[in-house]
Amino acid sequence: MRGCFRAIAATAIMVATSTLLYSQDLEYRLSVVDEGTLNALNKETPINYDNSILPQPYRGNIGTSNLFVSAGMFSMLLNLSTNTDNLRSPTYSYSLRELAFDYSLSGAVDITIGKKILKWGTGYAFNPTGVVEPQRSPSDPSDRLGQNEGSKLASIDYFSGRSSLTFVYVNDSKIESWAWHWGTQEFAMRAYTFLSGLDLSLIGHYREEDRLELGTNWSYVVGNNLELHGEFLGKQGSSTLYHQIIATDDDQQVLSSYPYTAMHDRSSEIFYKLLLGSQYTFENGINVAVEFYRNTEGLTTAQWKRWMKFVKFQSDIQRGLVPVDPATMGPSRYNLLWALQTLSPRGAMQDYCFGREYWALDRWGIELIQFVNAQDFSAVVIPTVSYKVSDNLSTYGRLSWFTGGSESEFGAIFYTTTFNLGIQVQL
Amino acid sequence: MKRAHIAVLLVSLAAVLVGQVSAQTPPQKPSADKILQLSDMSRNGWISYGVHTTIENYENGSLKDEGVFDVTIKGMNKTLVKFLNADVKGQYLLMVDDDMWIYMPNTRKPIRITPLQRLMGDASNGDVARTRYAEDYSATFLRDEVLDGTPCDVLDLHAKRDGATYNRIIYWIAKETNRPKRAEIYLTSGKYYKSIDFNTYAEIDGRMLLTKMTITDKLRSGRTTIMKYDSYGPRNLPDKYFNKDYLEKLR
Repeated sequence: MRGCFRAIAATAIMVATSTLLYSQDLEYRLSVVDEGTLNALNKETPINYDNSILPQPYRGNIGTSNLFVSAGMFSMLLNLSTNTDNLRSPTYSYSLRELAFDYSLSGAVDITIGKKILKWGTGYAFNPTGVVEPQRSPSDPSDRLGQNEGSKLASIDYFSGRSSLTFVYVNDSKIESWAWHWGTQEFAMRAYTFLSGLDLSLIGHYREEDRLELGTNWSYVVGNNLELHGEFLGKQGSSTLYHQIIATDDDQQVLSSYPYTAMHDRSSEIFYKLLLGSQYTFENGINVAVEFYRNTEGLTTAQWKRWMKFVKFQSDIQRGLVPVDPATMGPSRYNLLWALQTLSPRGAMQDYCFGREYWALDRWGIELIQFVNAQDFSAVVIPTVSYKVSDNLSTYGRLSWFTGGSESEFGAIFYTTTFNLGIQVQL
Repeated sequence: MKRAHIAVLLVSLAAVLVGQVSAQTPPQKPSADKILQLSDMSRNGWISYGVHTTIENYENGSLKDEGVFDVTIKGMNKTLVKFLNADVKGQYLLMVDDDMWIYMPNTRKPIRITPLQRLMGDASNGDVARTRYAEDYSATFLRDEVLDGTPCDVLDLHAKRDGATYNRIIYWIAKETNRPKRAEIYLTSGKYYKSIDFNTYAEIDGRMLLTKMTITDKLRSGRTTIMKYDSYGPRNLPDKYFNKDYLEKLR
């Protein structure tokens, strides 16, 4: 079934490619990255004690290429990847990250149909108002390996002077067994204007069987050096799934069934995501960006502690530190695996801070990222040094250092440090 | 009667003499702002146009870096810069009045930037994007000076709007052709920041237009930037191309 979909996708690619190649305004970009990774495993973490629950590789390599081709009304972004590490055989994959048809109905009205990445937020590391865009990872905001994929959508844009109005319809449809299957529908709207130096957007978003979300984002420049930006997105109630242990006092139990529920589904409470940020450029070119992010759908400190105690209890069972009936070992292991779903690359708790310092010095680029949990003060610190050999060839070394107590969010991650060494060819 | 004739004759004679005197007076020199406006014409051949721009950065005489850009200027206040180097292909800089956005294809979103964030080397965004000095600076006449054998008007330019690239410029403009010859840039502190030599001009579509200029960093010795312009031509993109949200549709 999946094969059929791939065959149709491949045909679509071939048709688009031939159209593109014969077009006179052909534009293309090709990026090929090979990145080796060494991981220092965090064998003390209760989430994955002794690397035994969800074994992680200590070394790996990813080779990935992204080809963007556009001509006339068509554009396409194709990813081919190969992945290998010390635990698994090499895997090969491809994905059509984008395949879109853009058409200008008039000088002011454009339509887009296809699969496309749309980005609406003004934030650097977080994107609460990016309601139809892939979720960003604050530890890799620029998606260095090009893994984000577009949404299947139809959109219409109206441009007038320094304002615009966009309506988007998203449907995660699939072709299976030669039949078209409609997916979940989403509707989004953005009204943008530029007013007295202020970039201002109003956002609305509705996902089928979910809630209406309303929000705004803005940015403003003060003088020659300082930029300020912010985003807000709010809704009534939440369909986010929470581990049921965070609502109980008994965190020392082995659950017998899948433990996630939408606890606030019927709540009338307002949940919101708020981002406040700024960037400053010094006279010598050093650029500093800072952001504060609050997501009230995240866990409170008390809820995190309860969840962590539960995880630690399961971990102790696995290590034989808690005497239990041997029949409990299996379910307890499942409890640990289920518990991992609480974690997210964007953070599982409510409050985070982000910092990025960047300095370009001739062919060298020096970047330092800090992603800090503002509730338990654990952090990921990521220094990166890059060197541009030529316009087509560059290399980089990137270290990610996870710091914090063993029961803090980043202190409990599978790794203590990871090191990436990459080489990139661009055409 | 005779006396009346003599009076008419004298008045007529006086009028002729006055007329001759005024005909011999040289035409009034244009104002400094007018000279500045005329000099802009040799950097902007059309109201809306496109130009291919190459920026070369040198350190102690050796080429360190080279950037190639396709620049579209629309009217007095809109500029769209397309980056053409392989490592930044698909990147755009949009400048409307005093406001700037950069669009990077890997992040897929336009980011608001401050004027200090540079394109590359010693060339500021404004060196590429803001070429109509009369829009950004008010001029006063300083002196006449012969520069490299060319008689010039030397003007003192002061920023008249927040988005101007520099605070103060001393500007040499050739008297005969109204073409810029040299500029000295000063920081708000009064420090001599950089000099710009407008090296060569070429005739394109009947217009003499700037084809090469050299920027010399006066704070860090040995650093120079050469900007070369070619493929000038009229280009009138629709207004929507200069809307921040349209950047994601550009390729």
